[in-house]
Amino acid sequence: MNLFRKKRLFIFLIGFIILVVLIGYSISERDDLTTAEQFINDTVGWGQRIIHTPVNFVTDVFTNINDIRNTYNENQLLKEKLAEYTGLIYENQQLSEENEELRNLMEWMDDETIRDFNPIQATVISRSPERWVEQVTINKGTQDGVETNMAVITAEGMIGKVQSHSQSTSTVQLLTGFDQFNRISATISREDSDDVFGMIEGYDQESDSLVFRIIEESDQGLEEGELVVSSGMGGVFPAGLPIGSVIEVGSDQYGLTRTALIEPAAEMYNINHVVVVDRELPDGDDEEDEEEND
Amino acid sequence: MKRIFIPLILFFFLMLEGVALDFLPVSILTSDLLIVPHWVLLFLVMTAVFYERDTTYYSIIYALIFGLLIDVVYTGILGVYMFSYTLVVYLVLGLRKIFHGNIYVTLLLGIISVILADVAIHVIYSAAGIIQMMWNDYAINRLLPTIISNIVFLLILYPLMAKRLIRWREAHLTGRDTL
Repeated sequence: MNLFRKKRLFIFLIGFIILVVLIGYSISERDDLTTAEQFINDTVGWGQRIIHTPVNFVTDVFTNINDIRNTYNENQLLKEKLAEYTGLIYENQQLSEENEELRNLMEWMDDETIRDFNPIQATVISRSPERWVEQVTINKGTQDGVETNMAVITAEGMIGKVQSHSQSTSTVQLLTGFDQFNRISATISREDSDDVFGMIEGYDQESDSLVFRIIEESDQGLEEGELVVSSGMGGVFPAGLPIGSVIEVGSDQYGLTRTALIEPAAEMYNINHVVVVDRELPDGDDEEDEEEND
Repeated sequence: MKRIFIPLILFFFLMLEGVALDFLPVSILTSDLLIVPHWVLLFLVMTAVFYERDTTYYSIIYALIFGLLIDVVYTGILGVYMFSYTLVVYLVLGLRKIFHGNIYVTLLLGIISVILADVAIHVIYSAAGIIQMMWNDYAINRLLPTIISNIVFLLILYPLMAKRLIRWREAHLTGRDTL
């Protein structure tokens, strides 16, 4: 009996050591998933794709019933918006023509700007049941050109970035799961004064909003409802992706800098179709890598 | 042939967990309540109660494998679910020798295992510094809703699977005799 107890304790301790090693390994900075993990992700992803369709159909029916109730009001609103858009389209056309002319004038041979990106269309096939880990799986992977750290957006705005990629699936870390290690360089654009620059520095669980630390302030104070977009200066995301709108402005815990709370523009639940943003302008790191490869 | 059913069902639940949150209304998802499906664990508990004989340890091996799969697919932090699920299933295997397998015992074991597994996951994540959550908030916002929702699942699962698992055990037993 005594021998059995010892054996049990021994196995438990070995299990515990394996646990610590595995956690340490997976938390550490690593660029790529191991082949085994990629294989598992792809296999499960293949099954999830099959399951996703019927489940989505059923849940969509309920969502649709809800939607129908709001249809009339939304329709009225949309009609008003549509009238505004015809004016905007005309204005937009003029501006882009003017922009092109000016660019030609300045002889910018390089067409790629910080704003351009290749969209990779993807569908969300599953969401992590562990609610502390805010991540979703999409059905596009390395084979479709998805790489780590690419921004992921929906029609409303940014929802997160690619955390890891397998051959045919990838996991996306949602904005709600961002911490201080995932910063986004962001800006608030102003018409008549200097732009406000800063960093999105994580997600505040208590107020359900993103924390925007302001680095360079404008002479005009921030107002509620102003739109925060990515600035492209971080070198990873392209510029101009909407992130959210300001809901509160305050100073940080030391009173040295000012922070604003940002409500994400996109809804983090019921995400279905997303676009992975592949920035056209290569960032500094990539160029170095290419040189090394040569 | 029937031996492969259990891993297949576990794999099915593993995939189903990924779309489980779609079944809940958005108002619950955006509130503070965190409901986590532990369907794979509940099926493992039922396997431990109804499928195992005194000398077999299938459910522990399945707990190791499918716990690791959950880690790889859904969290990216390896070992957490693997360790908690295996530990809990091991305890359930020990407890089932005391009890007779019926619905009340299954419910009781199910509740105990969900509590133990979820608390173990909370402890490990806290120790690793991935989450910071007070025990009070955890108990009210996560543990309670998780237990309740998983009991509902177990009540649906029990009538579907209990008889089948026992039948598979018998088939397995006679099948081995002919080998």
